[in-house]
Order: sequence, then structure tokens, then C-alpha cells
Amino acid sequence: MTSSGLRPTPVDGYPSPTSRLQIATEDILRAHVPTSGTPPVLNRNLHLQFLLRNLQQGFPERYTSQDASQPWLIFWTLQGFSTLGIGLDDRTKRRAIDTILAMQHPEGGFGGGPGQVAHLLPTYAAVCSLAIAGKPGPGGGWDEIDRAKMHAWFLSLKQPDGSFKVSSDGEVDVRGLYCLLVCATILNIMTATLLAGIPEVIASCQTYEGGFGSASFGEWAFGEDGQSPDYAAPRPTLGEAHGGYTFCATAAWALIQPYVRLYASSPSPNLSLAPPAVNMRSLARWYAAMQGGRAELGGLRGRTNKLVDGCYAWWVGGGAAVVAGMLKEMDEARSIVGECVAGDVDAKEGEGEEAKEEGWEDDDVDDSLFDRAALQEYVLCAGQHAAGGLRDKPPKHSDAYHTLYCLSGLSVAQHQVIPNTSRRIALRSSWDSAKARGREGSGMSLSDDQLSFSDGLRRESFVNALSWLEEEGTEIYVGGAVNRVNATHPLFNLTVTHTEAVMAHFYGQSLPIRRPTSRPRRKPPTA
Amino acid sequence: MSATFDDSDESKPYATDPEWADVIPVQQYEGVEPIAPIFYTEEYKDATDYFRGVVKTGEMSPRVLKLTEEIIHMNPAHYSAWQYRYRTLLALNSSLEAELELMDSFAIQFLKTYQVWHHRRLLLTALRSVDAAARELAFVARALRTDAKNYHTWSYRQWILAHFNDEDRLWPGELPWVEELLEEDVRNNSAWHHRFFVVWQSGVRRGEVDREDVLRRELAFTKEKISLAPNNPSAWNYLRGVLDHTHTPYASLTSFVQPYTVAAAPGPTDDSVVDLENPRPSAGAELPCVPALEFLADIYEAEGGEATPKAVQIWKSLADERDTIRKKYWEHRIKDALHGSQ
Ligand SMILES: [Zn+2]
Repeated sequence: MTSSGLRPTPVDGYPSPTSRLQIATEDILRAHVPTSGTPPVLNRNLHLQFLLRNLQQGFPERYTSQDASQPWLIFWTLQGFSTLGIGLDDRTKRRAIDTILAMQHPEGGFGGGPGQVAHLLPTYAAVCSLAIAGKPGPGGGWDEIDRAKMHAWFLSLKQPDGSFKVSSDGEVDVRGLYCLLVCATILNIMTATLLAGIPEVIASCQTYEGGFGSASFGEWAFGEDGQSPDYAAPRPTLGEAHGGYTFCATAAWALIQPYVRLYASSPSPNLSLAPPAVNMRSLARWYAAMQGGRAELGGLRGRTNKLVDGCYAWWVGGGAAVVAGMLKEMDEARSIVGECVAGDVDAKEGEGEEAKEEGWEDDDVDDSLFDRAALQEYVLCAGQHAAGGLRDKPPKHSDAYHTLYCLSGLSVAQHQVIPNTSRRIALRSSWDSAKARGREGSGMSLSDDQLSFSDGLRRESFVNALSWLEEEGTEIYVGGAVNRVNATHPLFNLTVTHTEAVMAHFYGQSLPIRRPTSRPRRKPPTA
Repeated sequence: MSATFDDSDESKPYATDPEWADVIPVQQYEGVEPIAPIFYTEEYKDATDYFRGVVKTGEMSPRVLKLTEEIIHMNPAHYSAWQYRYRTLLALNSSLEAELELMDSFAIQFLKTYQVWHHRRLLLTALRSVDAAARELAFVARALRTDAKNYHTWSYRQWILAHFNDEDRLWPGELPWVEELLEEDVRNNSAWHHRFFVVWQSGVRRGEVDREDVLRRELAFTKEKISLAPNNPSAWNYLRGVLDHTHTPYASLTSFVQPYTVAAAPGPTDDSVVDLENPRPSAGAELPCVPALEFLADIYEAEGGEATPKAVQIWKSLADERDTIRKKYWEHRIKDALHGSQ
């Protein structure tokens, strides 16, 4: 790397509070730029000890601020172990299950601790923790989740514009929406009633910058009571584009695609309007723009003109991975349409081979939108704390939250988990509709029409979620394979294995065997 | 950080307080050996045990207000305590104005906590008072003095303005205030976003009916800010946002953008030919700048045909030389332009 690559962010001779803070931060980070010859090392054992201490001894008093986020403390720790490739012993699993179940609210959902009000965010963390530690059967945690009550509670939070409060009397934002969609997807309670209006809400949260803000203002369109809605009224975004909200909105948009497709093909409730759309071009641009320069070690920031931070390695890196996956899917859909139009499939296949030979199409197996090697350097060189655990940036301390999200960000920079066409086909062909319907968890009674719609929705939600697989042969390990962490599913932040097991259970499916898949490598991966 | 409750006058534990003798405290975990427990202070444990006890019996009383206030002081993220407090205020018909005032010191102390801002929003919704809303706008402006980019503070302000959309007296100060903030920090992206909200997303205000005029004003304002600090992505994003929103072709700004895409001309610029439509880069500008090159490439891409290779050439220079961290993205743009769209 040339020294000019480390030049500071240009200030144009016009400093301001933002640029002063930026330059000061770059001065700190520059000291952590790896020197050539000494590959950065993931201090795996130190981080494992950090996680183990938190899990077994507990958290020091300053974590009282997380007292209403106890399922999160557990999830960050358990998923940290999964990412580092460490399984849990039975006693730990048992205690994790019991602790999480103590937080289930009698009226559905999970609270931030026992006796706390149910809240969408800890409900995500609880369900995902159970996906890691739980299993079917009595005491296994999975069958103790009251899915019908959870679904009813979800509906009680729904607002006239289709958005959701995070808890009764709580705020509305896309974090809650994402958490709800993850739970509904995993637990087989994705009903049309639940999803109505969500695509419009997500679309209305995209800002002029391309990323997403926290929420949109729905009262002009829907009033405070939802009577006589005016669909054409503006729904302004509250808050600027932000990495956390943008991840949530992006992943929510991906999770709801089956509904968007089915709903677009069924008679629309408001035909005068174009279907809700997210601008994928400006979204991809926004994600790419969040990567800091070499002087910031290629870390990711959460907003325009803000500082890089280890946790955005996941929120922005993970969200960018979702976009890359969706763009690839759209590309494939386009080329399939192209082939169908051409008609002569055999001839077309031959041409395809030629096109590959010429090389622009398949020569680059890396579909990502950011510099994966640089992001790994940030996590490894700036994100690790010498005493164990990972952090925002030096000289800060490590904490449970940054430890998981730095590791998840490292994972998303090492591996590519993207929708896989042959997996999708295999999942569809092994689909058992009757079993899946039998395992439906909302308990809502439906008319015949609705039944066939929801059968389709259920199958596609399942297939959509589980078609994301690691693209073999596209791994990049800065510092060598010793630094490898497990791949994580960018829609859930669980391993694919955990996601498959828990979804197979709640949909009553037995999954087709996964075969290693890889695209022919024509060029060695860069870095 | 953790010593948020150090200045209280020695409150005695609820467990030994005769005033609370009738409440049965509820332990957090019963019959469970929790994993990953938090080591609470005795004080916090005591208060939350009594909070659970109160919630169990459904008591809503003045002493519950005191209890929840104390818990919130120790942990402002305790959303259940906030919620119970809010419901108790309503049940007791307490003065919500007084509650808002009490919240001022909280908000400044716990600026980054969701609940602090959400509670204010609930109170303001229940109050339905434009005076209170005006007071809140002033308070938000003060809070932003402490933390100019605080997310919750900004989104709360936008919510207030949207919720009280028809109250003309709340709005006229917004644009001058945003301008002041951008004067102080032209890179404050939150202020740019607020400008977009005010000008483009919240309907048409008095004096802004001529949208062509508003567009001209916004373009002039933004170009001027770009000329001061051409490498500032916030201003370029706003410019793009305005053009996209009004369906104005980027190509209409070609002559403005061009000088920013080349190395600065040596020597002093001739001030006698100042073009007000197209302010030139400032003397200190570091050029060519990436956002201008990107903008120019977008113009070429939209033009298509003969111009496409010019766009590709710019993207290549960004990928290989000027903005190598985004190499993947620029390559994606090249691929997309050459093969994606027919
Ligand atoms: Zn962070």
C-alpha cells in the first residue's frame, strides 16, 4: 500500500466540527494500519474467554443499562460462540433456554427481562437465542414459544399505515419491523393480515440519500385512526439514512419479497397506485459510500459524514451483503426472462458458454459492493481489544454488543452468503405443503381463497429464506485461514445450519441435502 | 458513567421503608439460575423488585411515579418503567406539562436513549397543545447544541413538525435555523436531511408555492455550499436528492460540475467573470473531487451511446486510482452500464 493511500480525508481548506473530528480519528486509526509482513491475527482465545466470562460469571454493574435488553446480552454471546465455531454444552443450553423462557410474556412475545413488557426487539433476540440453544420437544425451548399469542400480540401493535409499535405505547420504527419479520418467518406465522401495508412502510423510509431512516410519518395518509386513508398523501421520512435502520429495512425488504410478489400478482387493494418500490441503485450507492478510506482502515460508518465504527461492519456490511444477493437474484431473473424470450434454450446455452469464455460475466465470483479485505483489516487491527472482546474503535473498551457485531462483520467480509438458484429449486421440489400448513402457528382461521394465498406465501417465505447459502470458493481470509470465522446468514445473523434446523422444525419440512456449490473460478480472488 | 444516581439524598431501601411495607417485592428470577446475569447494585435490585411488585398488583399512585423516576434515573432504557409511568400519569390526571418540564434535565443527561424522546412524544400527543409544541422545538434546538447529530432528537423534531403540520407559526423558523447550523458545520448531514424534510417532504408552505422558484433557490444554495467544500458528500447528496425529487436531469448541471472534475487551474481566478449560476471551487479546494467525478459519470451514463465510454473511463479512474476502496462498486457500475440495461 502506498503512503498516498493513507492521505487524510480532504478538507478543502474549510474545516468544520465534522472534519476536525474526522481528522483526529484518522490520526488515531492510522497508528493501527497493519505493517506489511506481519499478518493481523484474530485473538480467538481472548474473545472466547470474554464471551465465556460474560456467560458464566455475568456482566459487571455498568451493564445495568442493558437490563431491559437481557435477551440481547444472551444472543450476542451465543451467536458470538457460533461465529467462532464453538458449540454449547447441554447444561449451558438448558440454562439459556430457561432464562429466555422466563422472559416470555403471558400475552405473547418476549420482554427485555422477566416481568417486563413484551417488545419486538428482545423478541427477535429471544427467538434467535432459542434457535441456537433450543431444540424440539418438551423443555427444548422451541415448542414453548407461544406462537399464536405472539401473532396476536404482533397484530395488537399494528398501526393504521401498516407499521408496528415496538411495544404497547412504544415507538414505531423499522428495527421493530425487521425483528417482527424475522420471528414471523422463522416461526411460520407470516399471515397476509400481518404483512398488509408493510411494503409501503418500508419503501417510505428510504431517504433521498438511498439509505433508510428510522420511520416515516403516516398520519397525513392515514390520520390517527386509519379511517378514510389518502394513499397519495406524502409519508415523510423521520431521521436521515442510518446504518442500523438501513440494515433493518433492507433485510425486511428481502424477507417480504414473497409477499410483494404474490400481492403484486393478486388484485391490489389500491389499484391507482404503483406497487411500492425500493430504489436498489441508490441503496447500493449508499452502502458503498459508507466505507471509510484507507486512513480509516476501510471501516464502515453508519451515516454520511460520521465516523467509522466496528458495529457497522455488520449493520452496513450485512446490509450490503443482502443488497448484493438481491441484485444477483434480479440479474438472474432478467437473464432467465431473456432466455425464455429467445425460445431456443439449447442454442442459448451454447452461447452462454461462449459469453463465459469471453469473460465479463462469470470471471468475477465476488459479488460484493465493498472492499472485503479492507473491512477485515479494520476489525482485526482496530476492532480488537487487547484484553479480549471487540469494540467500536480505539481507544474504546470492548463490550458485548460490539464483540458480536465486529465478529459478524468479519464473517460477512470473509464469506459470501447469497441466494442460490439450485438450492431454491431443490427446496421447492421437496416442499410438503400439507405438513407446512399443519405446522402453521398463528392459529388464524382462513377462507379457502386465503388458504391458497397463504400456502403460497408460506412456501415462498421458507424458500426465500433458506435459499441463501455460502458461495464456496469466494472466501477471503485476511491474515490467512487461521482467522476464519463461521459464515452467517445475512437476513438473520444466525448460521445457515441453525436457521435451517429451526425453520425445518416450524414448517415440518425435511430439507434436501446441501451440496457444495461453486461457480467456476476464473481468476484467483483478489487480496 | 455509572454514577448517575450519586447526588440523591440518601434514599432508604424500599425493603425497609415503612411507606412501602404493604407491597410484596417480586424477585426477577424465581426457580431459574439465569445465564449471563447482570450484577446490579443493591439499590437497583431493590427498586426493580418493588417495581415488579407494583406492576403485579396494578397499583397506580403518586408513589409509583416516584419509584419509576428513580428506576429511570438508574436505567433510562427501562422501557417498562417508562410505560408504567406514562399510564400512571394518565390515570392520576397528573399535569403533563409539569412532566415535560421534569423531563428536560433527563433528556440532556440521557440524550442517546430512545425512551427519553419517546416519552416526550407521548406527552405532547396527549397534550395537543401548540404552545407545548413550540416549547419542544426550542428545547430540541437546545439539545442539539450539545449533540448536533443526535438521531432521536432530530427525528423527534421532524415528528413534531409533521404532527403539527397545520400550525403555521411552528414552521417559519426552520429554514433560517438549518442555514445557521450549516453555517457552523457544512458537513452536518442531519441538518441537510432536515432541510430536505422541510423543503421537499412536508407539503408546500406559504411563500413556497412557486416550485420552480424553490428549486432554483435550493440549487443555488447547494452549489454555493459545494463551492466552499467540494469534497463534502452531504451537499452532493442533497443536490442529487433535489434533482431526483424534481425529475431534473443531472445534465442541466454539467457546466457547474465540470470545474470540480479537473485539477484546479493555477493562478488566481478572474473575479470579473463570476458566474452566479455556477460558483467556482474555492481557493483551498482539493480537486478533482470524487463526488463531482461520480456526478459527471452519471450525466454521461444517462446520455448513453457515445457518452457511455466516457462514463466508464471515469469509473475506471475511480476504481483504480482515486477511490480504490470502492473499486467493487465502481466495477459494478461499469458492468451495469455495459451489460445490465439494454
Ligand atoms: Zn458501534
